[in-house]
Amino acid sequence: MFKLDRKLIITASAAAAVALFTLGCNGGETGTTASTKVNGKATIDGGVTYPVVNGKTGPYYVNPQVAQVAPKLYNGRVPTANELKAWDKDIMPDGTGLPEGSGSVEDGEEVYDAKCVMCHGDFGSGGGGYPALSKGNAYDLQKTLTNNRWKDPDADGPTRVFGSYWPQVSTLFWYIKDGMPHPFSKSLTDDEVYALVAYVLNINEMEIDGEEVDDEYVLDREKFLKIKMPNRDGFEPNIAGPGALDRVRAYYADAKNFGGQNLHQGAERCMTNCQKETAKTKRINGGITNFLPPMSDVRDLPAVKEVKVDPVAVYKSTCAMCHDSYLAPGSAEWSGYLAEGMDTVYAKGIKGTEGGMPAKGGTDLSDANFKTVVDYITSGKVK
Amino acid sequence: MNNKESQKVLERRDFFKKTAALSVTAIAGTSLVSSNARADDPAIINNVPWGQKWGDPVTKNRYGMPSKYEHNVLRRNTKLLASGNFRASIAVAPIQESMGIITPNGLFFSRCHGGVAQIDPNEYRLMIHGLVEKPIVLTLEQLKRYPSVTRTHFIECPANGGQEWRGPQFNSVQFAKGFMSSAEWTGVYIKTILEDLGLKPEAQWMLAEGSDNSEMGRTVPVDKVLDDAMIVWGQNGEALRPEQGYPVRLLLPGWEGNLCVKWLKRLEFATEPWYCKEETSKYTDLKPTGKAIQHFYANEVNSTVTSPSPEIDWTHLKDGDIVEIEGLAWSGMGTITGVDLSFDGGRNYVKANLKGLVLPKSWTRWSYIHTYKKGEVLQLTSRAMDDAGYIQPTIDQEVSVMGVEAVYHRNAVETWEVNAKGEVNHVQIRS
Repeated sequence: MFKLDRKLIITASAAAAVALFTLGCNGGETGTTASTKVNGKATIDGGVTYPVVNGKTGPYYVNPQVAQVAPKLYNGRVPTANELKAWDKDIMPDGTGLPEGSGSVEDGEEVYDAKCVMCHGDFGSGGGGYPALSKGNAYDLQKTLTNNRWKDPDADGPTRVFGSYWPQVSTLFWYIKDGMPHPFSKSLTDDEVYALVAYVLNINEMEIDGEEVDDEYVLDREKFLKIKMPNRDGFEPNIAGPGALDRVRAYYADAKNFGGQNLHQGAERCMTNCQKETAKTKRINGGITNFLPPMSDVRDLPAVKEVKVDPVAVYKSTCAMCHDSYLAPGSAEWSGYLAEGMDTVYAKGIKGTEGGMPAKGGTDLSDANFKTVVDYITSGKVK
Repeated sequence: MNNKESQKVLERRDFFKKTAALSVTAIAGTSLVSSNARADDPAIINNVPWGQKWGDPVTKNRYGMPSKYEHNVLRRNTKLLASGNFRASIAVAPIQESMGIITPNGLFFSRCHGGVAQIDPNEYRLMIHGLVEKPIVLTLEQLKRYPSVTRTHFIECPANGGQEWRGPQFNSVQFAKGFMSSAEWTGVYIKTILEDLGLKPEAQWMLAEGSDNSEMGRTVPVDKVLDDAMIVWGQNGEALRPEQGYPVRLLLPGWEGNLCVKWLKRLEFATEPWYCKEETSKYTDLKPTGKAIQHFYANEVNSTVTSPSPEIDWTHLKDGDIVEIEGLAWSGMGTITGVDLSFDGGRNYVKANLKGLVLPKSWTRWSYIHTYKKGEVLQLTSRAMDDAGYIQPTIDQEVSVMGVEAVYHRNAVETWEVNAKGEVNHVQIRS
């Protein structure tokens, strides 16, 4: 059981709830009971939550019996040790889950050329829509992350590849092991993954513990745990270590961190002259237009390729109900009709007759397909 | 667009054919209502084919399909947003055609990282373990035995609009804003399951992992798990579609679609976060400082005009026609409290009207009735607010903090320009 202070199911009365929770409403028209705090702490995402008040969370009724029985609900079973081992294969930055093993840059290149190059390109240069794994020296490229084309659209942008951007190398091992190669994932041995990681470090011109990951380098678990990614401190808020959730809460409580605009306690919003004077109309220059399928809002019949039907199957599902008792397939009763010529028989079938034959027997077959059914009924044979 | 143009030409030609025998004034555009010499509409005068023959038997479609005439209402994609033969790729929803606040399951946008997995529900298992007193393995039947809740929420890819940080790119609302859809989801609150499993006090983070070939994983803070996080199996009254993670996905209402892990296989609790591929290499927002936001959870307050659109414009309107400008507003941080509409690109606003149900972390419909003046040029900009106190920023405001390289979480106001012909183009108003 988890402790009471972690429960979010609030059974307090409405009056107490209003006292407990900050109303985040901003002159709203909807009047839901929203709270920007949970147990006195800011929400984790800067948004609001809807505590259960008077049996409802926001507009939704909550069955109060569920809270009573939930502590007694255990519908499954405990996983076995082998089941946990089979599925708990994630790898964390501190080495949790990282298997023993080793692999060389040389072996990595061999595996790469056999299983990876067709998507990720020569030396991880990318291609086929798949991401590049390297664009050069990781330490140099990490410095491009301050490049931002907001003032000069023609400037160089930032380069975000494994070496320059990713905060943890554990991600690379984990993802290769679990997700690569895409069409045959989970097929690489641990040593092959070590080799591929070594190769990716090599093409990103990285070093481990001061030593260059050159063509002769052999990576193992011990060395892996010494890898420091160039951009490991490039992310905010800091989610590692104690107090992480408090740091996240504080980060999203401040709109300035992520470019939000908060009207704080119902301040008036701008209704006139809300754009800067320098703001001008920017139109699409070229743009992206290769939409698949092409854009259209036309309501017409789709172009369909004629698929030949099986006349016997159509007969059984659609015609037999009436025709089995009169004018059955190949019946002598047809002779009088056939004397009028097949074109007349077809035409009567397609248009229907006052004698009770529905147009095309009530099907939506093409004329050509319908005629094959007529051929079958009149002759008893499939042509 | 060519189809559409030719259709319009056809319509116009038909109109003139019908009126050619009649008076010159009718052709000159005198109202058909007041004219004495009016063309008879063959759709009324003649018998229609479906009115004179049997319709389809009720046995025909055991699972119903849309009318064949709706065949152009489709998810679409573009090669520029496709990795590897459309396996790590996105197909976007035709929101220009959407009605109300629910997306039909067949049109729900679909983003995957290794293709759409096809899972045998009989072999489906969910494991919850790590820092819980009692770990658990559940079959699908066992999972669905928990008391269910049903909630209406949008799911939005945080890259919705992410191609347009540096300028407008898509002359299409489907592509500019259709990286999202909305449904009524049925499942169980994770907190209900945890009541018995017992979350240990030191648990801070939850790993959610999919069973597809990419083992799509993300780290979730326990705050969300204990608030409104759900494990869902129902979508608009039926089983989840494979594209949405059949048979089971995680649903974190309002948060990045990528966090709502599909084909859900495993939940593990720990004291430290995981650093999955899709929360480090991607789904992080690089700022001009060179620092990137990681763990950016909620899709912020947002809105767009959906009608008119570049796809379905106003070229057919006549002077003085009364028309409804319609759109969607949504916030992953809470409930929409209001929407404003500007006719001059966000310089000046009037209050638009919310309509229909207004639900937390849900699409919300808004509209404004407008009398169209033939030849007028409008820049339609909508701006939404939520009950967390947030209002959509201008592009200049958002870019001043986020720069233009962030890729994700762009929620500045969107502008659709109606030109003198009634055509609609996507523009941006920015310095």
